[in-house]
Amino acid sequence: MNGWGIGFFREDQAFVEKSDEQVFSDQQVHESFQRLARVIDSRIIIAHVNCPKSGGLHLSHRHPLMLSFMDHSWLFAQVGIAEGIESYETVQGPRLDISVYTARIFEYLRDQMIITRERNPYISLFAALHLSIKKLLKNYPGNFAFFLVNESVLFAFCNFRSLSILRKSEKMGDVLLITSIGEGLSPNNWQTIAPKDPSKGKLMVVAGPDVLYAADI
Amino acid sequence: MCDLFALSANRDYSAPKSLPIFAEQAGKNLDGWGIGYFRNHHAYVEKSAKGIFVAGQLHDSFQRLARVVKSRIIICHVRLRTSGLIDECHAHPFVLKIGGYDWIFAHNGKAPAIESYESRAIAMKEAVSDSARTFEFLRDHLTQHFQQSSDVASIFEALSSCTSEMIERYPGKYNFFLSNGQILFIFTNHRQFMLLKGSKKLEGALLITTVEKGLSDEKWLRIAKSTCHRGMLLAVSGTDIIVCQPL
Repeated sequence: MNGWGIGFFREDQAFVEKSDEQVFSDQQVHESFQRLARVIDSRIIIAHVNCPKSGGLHLSHRHPLMLSFMDHSWLFAQVGIAEGIESYETVQGPRLDISVYTARIFEYLRDQMIITRERNPYISLFAALHLSIKKLLKNYPGNFAFFLVNESVLFAFCNFRSLSILRKSEKMGDVLLITSIGEGLSPNNWQTIAPKDPSKGKLMVVAGPDVLYAADI
Repeated sequence: MCDLFALSANRDYSAPKSLPIFAEQAGKNLDGWGIGYFRNHHAYVEKSAKGIFVAGQLHDSFQRLARVVKSRIIICHVRLRTSGLIDECHAHPFVLKIGGYDWIFAHNGKAPAIESYESRAIAMKEAVSDSARTFEFLRDHLTQHFQQSSDVASIFEALSSCTSEMIERYPGKYNFFLSNGQILFIFTNHRQFMLLKGSKKLEGALLITTVEKGLSDEKWLRIAKSTCHRGMLLAVSGTDIIVCQPL
C-alpha cells in the first residue's frame, strides 16, 4: 500500500494528515497513523489507504482531498477507476493542482453541485449530489466508491464493491462506522450496502450516528 | 393557530433579531410560548403560559432568552390553544428520549383524532393535547426503528413512514419540528413554512417559520400543502436542506 491520509474537522474547517509511507508494514500499523487514530477528535473522520492504482507519486496526491464550496469545507476520498475523467477541465474553479483522476472527480462533483444549487438555491444537498453523480456516471462511466463530507454530514456512494456499516455504542455515545472493506472491521454484524440491478449506484447520507437517507441512482 | 420558528446553523447561534420579530408577528397567540435548544447533546426548554406579546410589549423573559440562548438548533413555539389547558406543561416545545437521545418537538395544527392515542411507553400524562399525543406517536414508532437496528433503513424513511401512518390513522393538520440536535426535521401538511438562508437583515443561519410573510422583506421560500398534497418532510443540517421529499 502506497500511503495514507486521515481527514477531519475542527471548528467547521477541514484538516488532512497524510503520509507517503505504508500504513501497515512488518506487522505494525504506522506509528503516526496509530497516534492520530487516538488523538483526532471530530464529529466526522475519514481515512483513505492508497493502492498503486490510484495514481500519483507525491504526498499531495494522497486522499482525502480538500475543497471549499457552497459555504462548507469539504473532504473527498475515493476508490475505483473512471474512464476519461483525467481530461476534465473544471468550469467553476479553483482547480486542484494535482494530476490524479480523483481530483478531477471531486472537481466535477463540486462543479455540478454548484451549478445545480445556482439553478435552485433551496435544492437539498442530497438531490444536488444525486443529480451530479448521475451526470458523472453518464459522462465518465467507471467504478466509484467515495466519501464526500463536510463538518456535519457524510455522503457515501458506491456503484461497485460494497460498503459495510456498523452502528455501535461507545463511551462517548453512538458512532457509525463505514468501510469499503467487504467483511467489515470486526466480527460484529456489519450491514452491507451495495447497488442492486438495475440501480446505477447507491447514495446515502449519514448525520451523527444515523443513516439519514439512502437512495439508488 | 399557533406559530413556529426554528433556526439551524453550522455552529452555536443566537437569534436576537428574528425571535422578537417572530414573537411580534405571532402576537395573536396569547396562550404561552417556549424556546427549545441543545447544549452538550442535551435538550433544554424554557416555557411560559403567559402571552408573548401583550400591550405592545414583548414578554421580558422571552426578550432576554432571545439574546442569550445559543445553539446549533433553536426551536420556538407560540401558542393559541386549540387543545389542552392553558398552562406551562401544555406549552411547547416538548422533550422526550428516542433511541437514547433527547429530542425536541413543537407542533402547530389541529388533530383532535390523535387525542385518543395511548402510548405504551412513558406518556406525558400532564399534557392532554393533540400535540403531546402526536409526539408520543412519533416517539413510539421511531423507537421501534432504533430497536430494529439490524436494519439500515434510514431515519428519514422511518419518520416519513410513521408520519404517513399517523395521518392515515389520525387525520389532521400537522406542522411540526422534530430535532435530536444534529438534524432538524420539518413536516408540513397545512398552512406553510417559510424558509430563508443567508439573511442580510436577520441572522445568517437557516430560518424557518410558519408566519405567512416570513420575518423580513427578503425572498423567503414557501413550502406549503400546494407543493405536495399529503405533506412535505424535510431534513435540515446546519444551513442546508439535506433531504426534502413529499410524503
